[in-house]
Parts: sequence; C-alpha cells; structure tokens
Amino acid sequence: MRIALAGNPNSGKTTMFNALTGSSEKVGNWAGVTVEKKESTVKKLYCKNGETITAVDLPGAYSMSPFTSEESVTRDYIKNETPDVIINIVDATNLSRSLFFTTQLLELGIPMVIALNKADLNKKKDTKIDVALLEKKMGCPVINTVSTSADGFSELITAVIDQIEKDQTPPYTENNVDLSDIEAVKAADRKRFEFVNAVVKEVETRKVYTRERNIHDKIDNVLTNKWVGIPFFALVMFLVFQISQVWVGTPIADLLGELLGLFQEWVGGLLEGANPLLYALLVDGIIGGLIAVMGFLPLVMVMYFLIALLEDCGYMARVAVVLDPIFKKVGLSGKSVIPFVITVGCAVPGVMASRTIKNERERRATAMLAPFMPCGAKIPVISLFAGIFFNNAGWVSTVTYLAGIVLIFLCALLINGITGNSAKKSYFIIEIPEYKKPSFKGAFKSMCGRGWEYIVKAATIILLCNTAVQIMQSFTWSFTVAENANESILATIAGPFAYVLLPVVGILSWQLAAAAITGFIAKENVVGTIAVCYGITKFINMDELVLEGGASDVAAIMGLTQAAALAYLMFNLFSPPCFAAIGAMRAEMKSAKWLWGGIALQLGVGFTVGFAVYQIGTLISAGTLGAGFLPGIIAVAVMAAIITVMCITATKRVKAERAHKKAK
Amino acid sequence: MNLTEVIEGKEYIIDKIDTEDDELDAFLFSLGCYSGEPITVVSRKKKMCTVSIKDGRYSIDSRLAAAITVTE
Repeated sequence: MRIALAGNPNSGKTTMFNALTGSSEKVGNWAGVTVEKKESTVKKLYCKNGETITAVDLPGAYSMSPFTSEESVTRDYIKNETPDVIINIVDATNLSRSLFFTTQLLELGIPMVIALNKADLNKKKDTKIDVALLEKKMGCPVINTVSTSADGFSELITAVIDQIEKDQTPPYTENNVDLSDIEAVKAADRKRFEFVNAVVKEVETRKVYTRERNIHDKIDNVLTNKWVGIPFFALVMFLVFQISQVWVGTPIADLLGELLGLFQEWVGGLLEGANPLLYALLVDGIIGGLIAVMGFLPLVMVMYFLIALLEDCGYMARVAVVLDPIFKKVGLSGKSVIPFVITVGCAVPGVMASRTIKNERERRATAMLAPFMPCGAKIPVISLFAGIFFNNAGWVSTVTYLAGIVLIFLCALLINGITGNSAKKSYFIIEIPEYKKPSFKGAFKSMCGRGWEYIVKAATIILLCNTAVQIMQSFTWSFTVAENANESILATIAGPFAYVLLPVVGILSWQLAAAAITGFIAKENVVGTIAVCYGITKFINMDELVLEGGASDVAAIMGLTQAAALAYLMFNLFSPPCFAAIGAMRAEMKSAKWLWGGIALQLGVGFTVGFAVYQIGTLISAGTLGAGFLPGIIAVAVMAAIITVMCITATKRVKAERAHKKAK
Repeated sequence: MNLTEVIEGKEYIIDKIDTEDDELDAFLFSLGCYSGEPITVVSRKKKMCTVSIKDGRYSIDSRLAAAITVTE
C-alpha cells in the first residue's frame, strides 16, 4: 500500500518521512525545503501486520486551491495518483492555519489520518488540544506525534493500516463551486476558514499567543539588526569555512591522505613485476586519480555537517530577511541567499532551493547565479592549487569565495540590464519559524549520507573518467602506445580547446584543457585529470608536498606561473558548473532561452575573470602583459559589445512598453 | 491606514489587500491573511516588518506591508 505525507510547509513531513523510512532526505527549519516528491519503504518495526508500506513525501502546501503554482506537485499527486491513505501532518502550534488544508484533503474521499505534530512544543507553551474532540469534528483519527523523536509513530501507522478502505465523512463540504470563477472560490474559501476557526475555538486552549513578543523576538532584534545582521552572517559563514577547511577538516584530511598513500604503495608493491603500461594505468592513473579526489573527503564532510546544523536551527529565514533589501537592489530576492548557502555544499540542491522564490525572474536569476558560489566538489580543486602554487596559503580559498559573492552581485546587475527589468518590483514574504536546537544526530546522518554520495561518485564517474583519461593519453589514434603524450588521443582532442585557454594561462596546454573539460562531468575531475596527466599523484598530500619541496617540482612540471595558476583556478570555478547542476538549472528555469543565456553568461564570466586575473597578475609580477593578450581582449570586447547591445535593446523595449501603458 | 503605520503589538482587522497580484493574494489567503481577519505587527524596521497572522509569524517587506490596509 501507498501512503502520502501531506501538510503545510515546515510542519515536519520530511523529518517524519526520514524517521519512518530510515532515509536521509534534506530537512531544514524553513518553509519549502522539500521541492520534489520522494518515495521509500516504511521500516518494518512500525508495520505491525507485516504489510509493505510505501511512504511518499510531498512538498508542503497551504491549500489545494488552483491559484498558487508552487503547490502543484502536491495537488497533482494527491488528485491523480490517489494514495491508499493520506497522513496529514498538522503543525499543532498553528492549528488555525493547518486545518484549512486538512478539510480540503478530507473532501477528496481518500482515507486519512491526522498526525498532530510538534506536540512537544505545545506542551512547553501549555497549549492544549482536545484530541478526542478534534477527531470527532474532523471525522478521522488524530494521533499526537513528535517527528524529531519519532514519538507516536507506531500508533500512527497502526491507525493508518486500520483506516484502509474505510469510509470517512468529510466534516465540511463545498457545494459545487465553479473553480474557474475566482470570486466564487474566494467566497467558498472564506466559509471554509469560518468553519475551521469555529473548530479551533472549541478544541484549543492557549495561554501563549503568537502575536505576543517572545524570546525569539529578542534574538531576532539583534540578529536582524541593520548593523549586526550582515556582519554576523559573514562571521557564521567564515566559521563554516574555517572549521571545515582549516581547524577540523585539514588534520583529518592529512591523516586520510597518508592512509591512501599507503594503500597506493601496497597496490604498487603487488604489481611490481607487471607490465609498466599496466602499472601506469592502474597505480598512477586510476588509483592515483581516485586518491587525489578522495583525500579531500573530510573537508567536504565537515562542511556538510556545519551547513546541516545551520539549516536546522531556523537562522536561514532570518538571513533572507536581513539580505532582502540588498538583494532587491540587484533584482534578486532575500530568499536567494538560501540557494547560495546550500550551493556551498552542492550546486544541485542549491539550484533546486531557488524554487521557493515566487517571482519568476528572481527565481531564474537565482538559479543562474547560485553556481558562482564554489561548491564542495570545487574544494579539492582550490586546495590543490593553493598547495602547489601558493604554499597552502589560506587567502586563496577566501578569495575564491569572496570573488563568487562579488560575481553574483555584478552578474545580477547584468541580468537586470539584459532583461530590462530594473524598474519592476516584487513583494517579499517569508515564514519565520521559531529557533530550535539543531539536531546533531540529523546533521551527522546528513553528513554521512552526502559523504557516501561523494565516495560513490569518486568510485564510479570519477574513476571512469580517470581511466578514460589515462587510456586516452597512453595511446595514439592507431591504438599504439604513445611514445610522446603529445601525440595521444587525449592531446589531439583537447588540443584545440587549449587555444581558448591561452589568454588565461599563457601557455598551450592540452592537459589543462582536458582537465577543464572533464570538470564539466564532475568538478573533482579537474583534480583527477591533472593528477593523471602530470603523474603527480604522489604529491597529493599537501602538507608533505610543501615540506618535501615537491610543490615547486609540480609547479615546474605544469609550467604555470602563480598568476596563471590562480587564473586557471578562477576559470574552473566560475565557468559553467557540472552537468548535474546544469540539469537542475534547466528544471528550475523552465526556459531554454534562460538556460542557454545562463550557460553563456557563466562561460563568459569564467573566461573574463581568468583572463583578467592572469593578465593583471602577470603585469604586476613580471611587468609585461601575458601571452594571448590580444585574442583575449578581442574576445572580451566582443562579449561586452553583445551585452551592451542587449542592454540597449532591453531599455528601448521597456521604454516603449511604458509609453504604451501611459497611452492606454 | 496600512501596516507601515500601525502600532507594534496591537491587533488590527484587515480591511483590504491590494497587491495587484492574484497569485500572491491567493497565497496570503491560504495563510489566513484576508479582509476581516486579525493581524498584528510584532516588530517593525525600516524596510521589513514581522507580522503575526493566525498562529504563524511572517516577515514582509514594507512594500507588501503598505499594500495591506487595516482598521482598529
């Protein structure tokens, strides 16, 4: 049988889903974390009669009414796929709002059980709900639950099983309302709310009212203060990076690096007498490339842990409030900050998080700009370059994140110009959840889940790419062993792209071009491919690298100056993200024009930033311009010209539209 | 008067909501924010204010606050 979890946003559906099924879907303390439906099997321990139950977690919805688009996933699922039983999760602290949706669900004729969730919060505030009376009024079972501690789950599932194929009489029915007539629907909805208000009055006794100021308001007064709000957010993010990439992540990564090195030596020992080609393929190529990527796992995992804590405590909604006035100035929404922060972990869920933004233009712009925040997969790339070329300097990482933020603002302005939208305004509304103590267990689970995904990715896609790269650079097109790697298959394929990178790195390097290309499959590949192509896998433990003086060797092998290395790094960070993230962009933008515009913008930005960093860096350090300046500046000029023309056209269009409106 | 002019912490009754955006109006309605219902501005800053509608808290920008007119 199939049960659907439906209810208002942030009522605890996904937390319940995770606890019921043992999944680790993303949870967070703000409205609209879940944007897509998820399915999984309920744990046997809750199913008393041994039946297999599939639970479906649905995005939160406030109503079934056909006038709000964001709730369509939930509405369509319940209406078209008819689950056997619906569990309606009701936020017990906000009964008066939640029951509106409840009465709508009850009208569908699908058996339903109400999970009166967050029962613990009500206890704290001494709010009492007469469950027996509510059951009678709603005509369906009501069970007290606490998602965060799985309280009441056995009773809930037992009630669900009891309810199968039972007839329930809806407590409130709307008589044939013409759904195409907005006014008629509104009138009917008013009546429904009247019914709900009357029910709440009878079943609920409150001592603390939501409209009264409480301790959360005192905290908010400080955290959303004009002067404190932004510096505090900056401090929080700085701590996330500092802890994950310096204080905690790095020592663990060093340890792991040593272990992985031992493993590589061990495999090398096994293959001592083997064919040198096989040795190179297996030990240096495949395992070496894999180790290069795996070594950074601790940094990424600690980061995931901290972001999960941040998402769970309720602070994200406040950040959106603090940043809205600034983001609004560049045509984004305060809510854009949530996708940006999530992208620091991974751009795919980051881009998807933009769905909670109602304004279409703001949502599309956010999905387009989020990938400028360097994601977890880019940490290995940043660390590798910082290690080889900059003596592990901490400023490299800081600069890349700050550059990401600056680019988001600049490109948001650019998008404004191109779409001619600067004059239009949008409204901002966000639900402010109460703060809660973040769940360390939940964050740990989330970290392990995401860490496992990283390992699986490294062992599949990245391993495959490394193998392909190793084979392609070992053979020529006639499938003979390439005596000189420059004649290999890889060199001839990546060669032409090396010309594009000339203005960025100053040399023609098919290896760097190949690394940038494989980076589109997964950004960790940049590290893997560089490791394979230059055979530098032994140096991947950065601390050793610096100690052994190996860094300068590697730098010499790659033939890059510091300016070129930084430029190449920037190019990889700010050019289009991996294909998975581009797929997410496509899903959120729902427009081919916006998607291709976004990819073009990212390509242009990646190239321009790389070009500028290399040329200016070279001018400062060597006193001359770098190689490839002329073709580079021409390319940048052409891009600038195209953008200027687009902006002018847009301005004209907006003016014409305004004149047209006035004339009307 | 609209929500940018009311006294903090005092409950008012919504008179009219005029956002010229049907989807937003429908969304506000589903939150319980429509004419005839009570609303309280819990705290107000220059560009943003926090309101209490039914038993939920929401932050809205001053543009939306100005679009909601209330009576005592």
